[in-house]
Amino acid sequence: MATISNNDIAQAIYLSSKDKSPHELSLVLKDVVNFLHRKRLLNKSKDILLKLNKIINQEKGVLMVKVSSAQKLHGHEKEEIEHLLKKRYHAHEILLEEHIDEKLFGGIRIEVEDEVIDLSLRNKINKLQEHLTRKV
Amino acid sequence: MSHNHIVENLRKEIENFSAQIKAEKVGKVIEVFDGIAKVSGLSDIKSSEMVTFPNGETGVALNLEDDAVGVIILGDFSKIREGDEVKATGKILEIPVSDNIMGRVVNALGMPVDGKGVVKTDKTYPIEKVAPGVVTRQGVDQPVATGIKVIDAIIPIGRGQRELIIGDRQTGKTALAIDAILNQKGQNMICVYVSIGQKDSKLRKLQVRLEEGGAMNYTVIVSAGASETAALSYIAPYAGVSIAEYFMDQGKDVLIIYDDLSKHAVAYREISLLLRRPPGREAYPGDVFYLHSRLLERACRRNEKYGGGSITALPIIETQACDVSAYIPTNVISITDGQIFLETDLFYKGIRPAVNVGLSVSRVGSSAQIKAMKKVAGTLKLDLAQYRELEAFAQFGSDLDESTKKQLERGKRAVEVLKQPQYAPVKIENQVVVLYALVKGYMDTVPVEKIKEYEQGLIDYSESHAKDFYKEIAEKKMWSDKGEESLKKMIEDFTKSFNK
Repeated sequence: MATISNNDIAQAIYLSSKDKSPHELSLVLKDVVNFLHRKRLLNKSKDILLKLNKIINQEKGVLMVKVSSAQKLHGHEKEEIEHLLKKRYHAHEILLEEHIDEKLFGGIRIEVEDEVIDLSLRNKINKLQEHLTRKV
Repeated sequence: MSHNHIVENLRKEIENFSAQIKAEKVGKVIEVFDGIAKVSGLSDIKSSEMVTFPNGETGVALNLEDDAVGVIILGDFSKIREGDEVKATGKILEIPVSDNIMGRVVNALGMPVDGKGVVKTDKTYPIEKVAPGVVTRQGVDQPVATGIKVIDAIIPIGRGQRELIIGDRQTGKTALAIDAILNQKGQNMICVYVSIGQKDSKLRKLQVRLEEGGAMNYTVIVSAGASETAALSYIAPYAGVSIAEYFMDQGKDVLIIYDDLSKHAVAYREISLLLRRPPGREAYPGDVFYLHSRLLERACRRNEKYGGGSITALPIIETQACDVSAYIPTNVISITDGQIFLETDLFYKGIRPAVNVGLSVSRVGSSAQIKAMKKVAGTLKLDLAQYRELEAFAQFGSDLDESTKKQLERGKRAVEVLKQPQYAPVKIENQVVVLYALVKGYMDTVPVEKIKEYEQGLIDYSESHAKDFYKEIAEKKMWSDKGEESLKKMIEDFTKSFNK
């Protein structure tokens, strides 16, 4: 028998709780907790929740984006980034998570799931170093 | 170089530099142990795609799972930490190749390790490649002259063949391979020696030996030493055959030696077990047959339409206590086009090379043998087979009839002739002369202990007295009636003077 991954469980929870009234939802969730308890999966609940979050975001077209920059971003910069990302990833909504990282020296670094667009100065300097120290 | 010049150069380099920045797929190291890293993320990665770690080490993605990727690390893994960023490169693992690689010792990633500076390269070849298909191939019909009498006569190897060398430890497997490399001088052959999990001292000795013999001019050594990680041992033979393919693509003939595939299988077993793939027989993973079959299938002879060239493979397998029915030996025996069996008993009896003629076969080589050799070898095979049969039987009684005695004497001489010291390859023409003298009975009058002396004498004598015969063999690959007459006379003359 194939093992059931956390992702499968999250998918099942999502499908069973989709489009339910508040009353039904509370019953479903009770069942879910009972199921997890019975199958001794409560210690994995953190990961399952994370996966569930991902699935819901994907269904609703919400994109979690981590933006790191050396200085705080201005409002219009953020808008521009959101606009670009919406187009690139065909998302309805962008959830920006901002980080200040002085080690970037300048520019920004955008992380979307496992894709990274590194437009920081530090990355450019690293690339220059690679270029200058490459073996000819 | 003046300071200004350096600054000027640097400025030029910086001016020419433009950072190509694009979206990259990255992952994070979840755990790292024993040369393996488990990496999260890297969603679109391909199997055996190259990844890079922050300290510049490369890795290869082997296990693609639901939410993690199992990566083997090619190199030092001690500086890789949990949480490190891993970048996908989008490329299948490849190694740099060029003509400059000739005469060098490189590691499994194609980087030189012989301290002779960088190898300038302009091309890269992928490590994994699908073997040439049926339409591109051609039958084996050109010989590989190994210079070893017993092989060239009884177990001939053709260009594009895969011939396994199998035997216990210390039976002369590597020696056989080295002799074959040494004899390729002037034969229009490029050699690649892949050392897998061997002691560095052994490799060094071998390299010096090849240099002394002038063989490094046409040889590349790919080394994955015993001190390096299993991942490098695993990819070394594939890197070696990629180098061989580079030369084959130029229409050249290549001889590749894998020394040895038992250690390769062990390295792959280690990786597989660490990646938690289920173990099978002898704890090897399920795909260990495919591991070797896809490697050895890349040995081939391509037809002229597809550029010609060939790769002849001599894989080596080390058995434990002569057990050829173990898992890996049986696998490789079934993949290759024949095997050369080396035996400890023969080795200690003084029969070196310790080839067991009864168990060794070459399934396709005979069509590559030159006609003259085929003629003498046929009788030789028969002589030896009869001798083996009678040898056991003759131990019980001494009163044997005349013809049996004669066969025994002939057999003893045949065994003696096939003995050959290391690093002393014999030219094919000389082999024909010596074996002709043997099978036609000229040696029957020579005492067994004097056979070696006779053989050397005959070679020296014929080189100066039978030049026409040599020319005939070199050009037409067979003697004419006239040539045979002169050869007979020459051997008779020499035997007479030798016996005096």
